[in-house]
Amino acid sequence: MIGSLTQRQLRAVKQICWTLALCVVAIPFVFPFLWMISSGLKGPSEIFGQPSLIPTSFRWNNYLEVFNYQPFARQYFNSLYIAVTVTLLTLFISSLAGYALARLRFAGAALVALFLVSALMVPEEVTIIPNFFLIRWLGLSDTHWPLILLPVFGSQGIVGTFLMRQYFLALPKELEDAGKMDGLSRFGVWWRIALPMSRPALAAVAIITFLNSWNLFLEPLIFISSLEKFTLPLALSNFTDPYGSPLWHLQLAATTLAVLPILMVYLIAQRQIIESFALSGVKG
Amino acid sequence: MSSLTLRNLKKRFGRVDVIRGVTLDVADGEFVVFVGPSGCGKSTLLRMISGLEDVTDGELRIGNRVVNEVQPAKRGVAMVFQSYALYPHLNVRDNMGFGLKVRKVPAAERQQRVSEAAALLKLDALLDRFPRELSGGQRQRVAIGRAIVGHPDVFLFDEPLSNLDAELRVHMRSEIAALHKRLGNTMIYVTHDQVEAMTLADKIVVLRDGRIEQVGSPRELYEQPDNIFVAQFIGSPKMNILPAGSAAGFGAQPAGAVSVGVRPEHLSLVAPEKGQIGGKVVISEYTGASSLLHIRLDSGETCLVVVDGDAPEADMKVGLLAGTDNLHHFDTDGMALRKSRLLM
Amino acid sequence: MTARDERAPWLTLKMREAMEAWLFISPTLAGFLIFFVGPLCAVVWYSLTEWNLLSQQSVFVGLDNYDDALFHNLDFWQVVRNSIVFAIGLVPLNMALALALALALSRRFAGVVFFRTVFFAPVVTSAVAWAIVWKFLLQGEAGFVNQMLAGIGIHGPNWLREPDWAMVAVIVTRVIKMVGLNMILYIAALQAIPRDYEAAARLEGASNWQIFRMITWPLLGPTTLVIMVITTIGSFKVFDHIYLMTGGGPENGTLVLAFYIYQQGFQFFDVGYASALAMIMFVIVMGLTVVQLALRRRDT
Ligand SMILES: Nc1ncnc2c1ncn2[C@@H]1O[C@H](COP(=O)(O)OP(=O)(O)OP(=O)(O)O)[C@@H](O)[C@H]1O
Ligand SMILES: [Mg+2]
Repeated sequence: MIGSLTQRQLRAVKQICWTLALCVVAIPFVFPFLWMISSGLKGPSEIFGQPSLIPTSFRWNNYLEVFNYQPFARQYFNSLYIAVTVTLLTLFISSLAGYALARLRFAGAALVALFLVSALMVPEEVTIIPNFFLIRWLGLSDTHWPLILLPVFGSQGIVGTFLMRQYFLALPKELEDAGKMDGLSRFGVWWRIALPMSRPALAAVAIITFLNSWNLFLEPLIFISSLEKFTLPLALSNFTDPYGSPLWHLQLAATTLAVLPILMVYLIAQRQIIESFALSGVKG
Repeated sequence: MSSLTLRNLKKRFGRVDVIRGVTLDVADGEFVVFVGPSGCGKSTLLRMISGLEDVTDGELRIGNRVVNEVQPAKRGVAMVFQSYALYPHLNVRDNMGFGLKVRKVPAAERQQRVSEAAALLKLDALLDRFPRELSGGQRQRVAIGRAIVGHPDVFLFDEPLSNLDAELRVHMRSEIAALHKRLGNTMIYVTHDQVEAMTLADKIVVLRDGRIEQVGSPRELYEQPDNIFVAQFIGSPKMNILPAGSAAGFGAQPAGAVSVGVRPEHLSLVAPEKGQIGGKVVISEYTGASSLLHIRLDSGETCLVVVDGDAPEADMKVGLLAGTDNLHHFDTDGMALRKSRLLM
Repeated sequence: MTARDERAPWLTLKMREAMEAWLFISPTLAGFLIFFVGPLCAVVWYSLTEWNLLSQQSVFVGLDNYDDALFHNLDFWQVVRNSIVFAIGLVPLNMALALALALALSRRFAGVVFFRTVFFAPVVTSAVAWAIVWKFLLQGEAGFVNQMLAGIGIHGPNWLREPDWAMVAVIVTRVIKMVGLNMILYIAALQAIPRDYEAAARLEGASNWQIFRMITWPLLGPTTLVIMVITTIGSFKVFDHIYLMTGGGPENGTLVLAFYIYQQGFQFFDVGYASALAMIMFVIVMGLTVVQLALRRRDT
């Protein structure tokens, strides 16, 4: 009887109801991952058969086939090294620019900041056509250069610049002054004092930059034509039979391979990762 | 040579004039203290000397060099910051040796200079600790140590003790005084604290709104303030300023005097009929060694008096006495009239 | 000894600082000029030309491309309609769900971290992977979603093959993918609201709904505005999701502006026309931005 419940019990019941409701809402967020893993282990015949989360027989062979179908290991490595390169370059360039905008006095600082911010608003689809010709003119079509240059110097780099600027502005200035008195050059103050104190901001920039590059699709689609130069997202979309219909069991196995490592890292560092997005989201 | 010369120094931030023409000579080995109300430009002036702020106009010399455009590290000055500004990722030894390392001083010499400074400041036992493992006073000593190892000509301090508690502040104050005696360097020191200024300084510079109000020894400033601002700024509780008419009872006034100043500690209480001026106690604050009385004068002004020992209760009528050599006379512009002293 | 005058060396401290500043921002600035400002100017020029990628010839045609888009090409208006439907479907759904989740997850209880992690997980997942998996789930008869629906007696549509349902599917799956981002922005904003307000209102006997209506919602105003603009602009940028789930079909039912630009430029090689489309997109997004700035200014 409800009437006989104490205030505390009532609250507990309410909490349980809420939790159950949240669990239901969570289904479309979690289930796709589970179904992806499960279906990646099924054979082509079972995949659209009677739905079952546990495959009747685990077809680990799918994972071998993924690597035989196209140079998937190579493509995986491409994604990895490109994302790492983009991240390192972005960290370097955007923390330099962010430092100048936060700390150095020069005519035109406000104008430069305004210009950069305005670029954040413009979708890459607007500039992709001229950039395509630019890259082709530079002879960099079907290389990884555009996948590195466009993000680093595009909106990703600018987001990084403003994240860093914001963080530098909040740092106490006296440490950097002490560095100057100790004889550090401007570059030295930045490198040896400002940067070591900015680890949280650097981590945030690194996280969002890495993920952005890892998930990049439009640029590879436009610039890359050779299979062994594909990056993961492009490779994933490429598991099709000769008539263009998807080879689901392979595609899902490959997608699992692409998604799981990121998801693992996310589960371990979810707090830090979510905070990084919150930080960059507030800026944009 | 480490004298210091400021000639009509000016600093402008955007459209705001922060330092409006400061001229000052600091002799070699002198201990100079900058005081003034908050926002008057003390830190800015200090940072201009250090090179952390550039000079808008005027000339700044250290020794024989005009250093307006010389980089901070090449001026032969060292600075101790209010927040200590110790590098959090370096231990005490590396914090102190950092500047030497940047300047490529050989490791052996670096080691030696750090040890010397550590011994001087009794930091030997703390050399391997990190700043977060130190108390406020210890951090302050490390900050001073870092300044010492560079063997600078001039030390600059910006409110170095203001983050310490009262007791430690007194202690560190005497350590800084001892350090100055021992090293004999020129030191420039910014503070909010009157007592620090009075005890440490060979010479006090009172600033207001980016201008110098008066320069002098602590005694000169206390005994012969140039104007009402300095008179009230130096000394605590601050000097009573009375209209000449109300203070007529204290004795003859030089021509042109419109106000008369007398310090609370220079007024004595007597029976109402024996006083030069009469009044009534409004509030009596007991502070331990003495009491601070707020007295409403018969002429209507309020006046502070410090009395040792027994103090009268509120509402009692009292009389006030002041010695003529303790009176300060000011003209309409608030400038001191020194003739009163000549009359003695 | 005579005074050495170092007052006017060739480089003053001020000049040095400015020089260092320009040096520090020069990589960013150079990249910005090369990969953004330059292309932006170029796209204006391209949009005024007829340039066929195959024939490699470009002819100045004035505003013909715009004229084409706005008055002759029926596809264009369908694309505009699709983009608007997409935005109008996606933005309120995303924001309402984000706010609801944030309200549920902004206070502490056992499992709150778990739920936040879950709802945010699709954000870090690549859009390509997300689209592939959902496309798989939404296959016709044999797809998982329809099998489940069949289990409870509903005959589900062939989601991605019927224009209207395809639009619904694309919107809903995109919302599930991105709602976590707005959720955490809302959570941050909610946690920044001092608890005292709520406590005071409760003492006066306000109900939960009244507290939300009178206190929480107004205080979330600036956040809501920012989220709304980011999400709207974001909805115009969606490309990979649609490319992989529907390819713009069926019957151009999910062909949105970003995809249309890609299609015209890189599949049909009609550079001039695609550039005109890009300019139109630029104008729309800038317009939204200006509206946001205006609203923000009015707000503060
Ligand atoms: N970088 C700057 N830009 C603009 N104005 C500044 C800057 N630094 C200081 N000021 C202004 O210059 C004036 C003097 O500042 P300064 O820090 O020198 O005062 P101060 O005497 O040290 O004060 P306090 O006793 O509070 O430390 C203040 O009005 C301050 O607002
Ligand atoms: Mg100061």
